[in-house]
Amino acid sequence: MNIIVCMKWTPDTSEADLTVAGGAKDIKKDDLDYDMNDWDRFAIEEAVQIKEKVEGGKVTVLSLAPEESEEMLRECLARGADEAFQIWSDEMDGGDGYATATVLSQFIKSRPHDLILTGTLAEDDGAGQLGGMLAAMLNIPSATLVSKIEIQDKKASFIRELEGGLYESMEMDLPCLVAVATGLNEPRFVSIRAVRKVASIDIPAVGIEEIGIEADKVGESGARLVIENVALPPEGVGAEIIKGKPIEAAARLAEILKEKGAIG
Amino acid sequence: MKNIYVLAEHRKGALRDTTWEAIAAGRKLASDFGADLTCVLLAKNAGPMAELLVAEVPRVMVIDDPVFETMNSEAINLTLIEVLRPSGSYVLLMGASNSVLDFAPGLSVALDAALATDCFSLEVKDGKLLASRQMYSYKINSIVSFKNSDRVVLTLRAGSFGFSPSGAAKGSIENVQCLIDPASLRKRFVKYVEAEKGDVDISSADIIVSIGRGIGDEPDLDIFQSLADTMGGVLACSRPIVDKKLLPKYHQVGTSGTEVKPKVYLALGISGAFQHLGGIKGSPLLVAVNKDPRAPIFQVASYGIVGDLNEVVPVLEAKIKELKG
Ligand SMILES: Cc1cc2nc3c(=O)[nH]c(=O)nc-3n(C[C@H](O)[C@H](O)[C@H](O)COP(=O)(O)OP(=O)(O)OC[C@H]3O[C@@H](n4cnc5c(N)ncnc54)[C@H](O)[C@@H]3O)c2cc1C
Ligand SMILES: Nc1ncnc2c1ncn2[C@@H]1O[C@H](COP(=O)(O)O)[C@@H](O)[C@H]1O
Repeated sequence: MNIIVCMKWTPDTSEADLTVAGGAKDIKKDDLDYDMNDWDRFAIEEAVQIKEKVEGGKVTVLSLAPEESEEMLRECLARGADEAFQIWSDEMDGGDGYATATVLSQFIKSRPHDLILTGTLAEDDGAGQLGGMLAAMLNIPSATLVSKIEIQDKKASFIRELEGGLYESMEMDLPCLVAVATGLNEPRFVSIRAVRKVASIDIPAVGIEEIGIEADKVGESGARLVIENVALPPEGVGAEIIKGKPIEAAARLAEILKEKGAIG
Repeated sequence: MKNIYVLAEHRKGALRDTTWEAIAAGRKLASDFGADLTCVLLAKNAGPMAELLVAEVPRVMVIDDPVFETMNSEAINLTLIEVLRPSGSYVLLMGASNSVLDFAPGLSVALDAALATDCFSLEVKDGKLLASRQMYSYKINSIVSFKNSDRVVLTLRAGSFGFSPSGAAKGSIENVQCLIDPASLRKRFVKYVEAEKGDVDISSADIIVSIGRGIGDEPDLDIFQSLADTMGGVLACSRPIVDKKLLPKYHQVGTSGTEVKPKVYLALGISGAFQHLGGIKGSPLLVAVNKDPRAPIFQVASYGIVGDLNEVVPVLEAKIKELKG
């Protein structure tokens, strides 16, 4: 059972103060902290749990990202992956989901794969597209927003999320790609000792030559989307901000709630 | 662009609102490009749905087959490849729903088309299609165009394209034979499953205290429960709180959780992602406490406090107790 997990190295923007840079084509990223995409933490955990259940399982982790992503890949090894590849060439800069899927599919094609796991969505581009694109390029079935998986008899039985508390139970033949939903498992805690134990494992860096892909198919030239402009949403719309220190504001808020008849 | 297509979305035999919103966007693009608008309906017992559609769009293409009882991504993709192949240049519009999320990316690859997901606004400028979407934790708006712009697939954010049915169109229905062999599908629907019901029903609560990831990794939930009790309300949460198993799923507000329609919604450490806000109906008095002044929640809240919820919550509760006397 060969399991491949695709992990995205993303800037943590949920609490950061973002500024637009690069001629209004991107945000300023050099002072942001990077980490594994939240959804992918559940993907690597699921891969390792499946491996622990089936005999002869092997987990390979891939990330198309610059060198710094090595720390994320090493953490994946500490979480129980068997090998990891860091995929990057300068030409890959400025790519979109399509360009990324082109590279990853080319790399995966030549390797055994029964199950590919991804997150459903990455919080940087908010696209939710890579898994489906990759599966189409590999001509294997796929499913997104999967909140439960069972592998048996060359089949994946799974449950995927619809809206409003409704789910659909489905099955698909292996090999297939599963894009997981957050919450489908409880990602394990990684101790410093676990990270140390995998410190000597080599994480090969592969580029366009090793993968055997032309430079014009990757990065900006391989992308199908062009970002024309990025901007912070217009300011001044929305909430009336209650001024003052948190403590004063809290007291004022209690009064407002009372005035509005909002205290039960 | 010569053709604008809308794929109708349905569930349990009924069209979903996403369909009408995609038709609204489709009408706009059809008029901007001077293109023809076609709605494609792949469904089982499609008749009644087709009748509704044909009153709004000039042309409805229908494939009525049991395989389309649900939105099976593989069946839809194999079919749309056949349907759209002869069309030259087109834009295909669909709602950004959880069903569509399952097949739009693969479809775009199979159609050799460009894809933009979750678009909230569309514009045609000098003949060029521009789509607006969000990035970076929904805090940045971006406008994208399409390099290979002959074929474009777009998914549309719910609620972004208003629709008022006129019932005025006298379109035509074109029935097409099923183009695929259901027995060859590698992905199969088994059944629907409903989420478990819990001991609190947030959907009918008037006052909701809702907690998000901002409460930290090892929170003391009693503090928030106590505030909810004092306010006479219930405790709810965003998705990460359920993912971390801090509260059961039936506390989750949002598109994939429960829809609520309270009078007061107090959001503590919740950023205000679209899927969370999508679960808040009506127009409650929405109050947000968040330490990030740029958090999207402040764009929709009535009142906000920019600050640490750990400082705000105890004072708020004490003061409410005092005011209640
Ligand atoms: C298909 C799909 C379905 C989804 N369904 C749902 C759904 O049903 N419900 C849902 O909620 N989400 C849903 N999501 C996830 C959604 O996109 C967001 O990821 C999620 O809502 C974010 O939750 P949050 O606001 O708690 O966390 P974050 O976005 O991480 O926000 C945490 C906030 O807390 C603030 N904060 C941090 N510390 C403090 C402090 N000490 N004091 C005050 N503020 C602080 C931060 O500034 C930040 O704004 C769905 C996503 C997808 C793709
Ligand atoms: N550069 C990348 N390297 C590896 N995996 C990726 C990359 N980009 C996206 N993915 C995977 O695809 C999922 C969806 O990402 P996206 O389509 O960007 O929203 C992520 O959760 C990852 O699992």
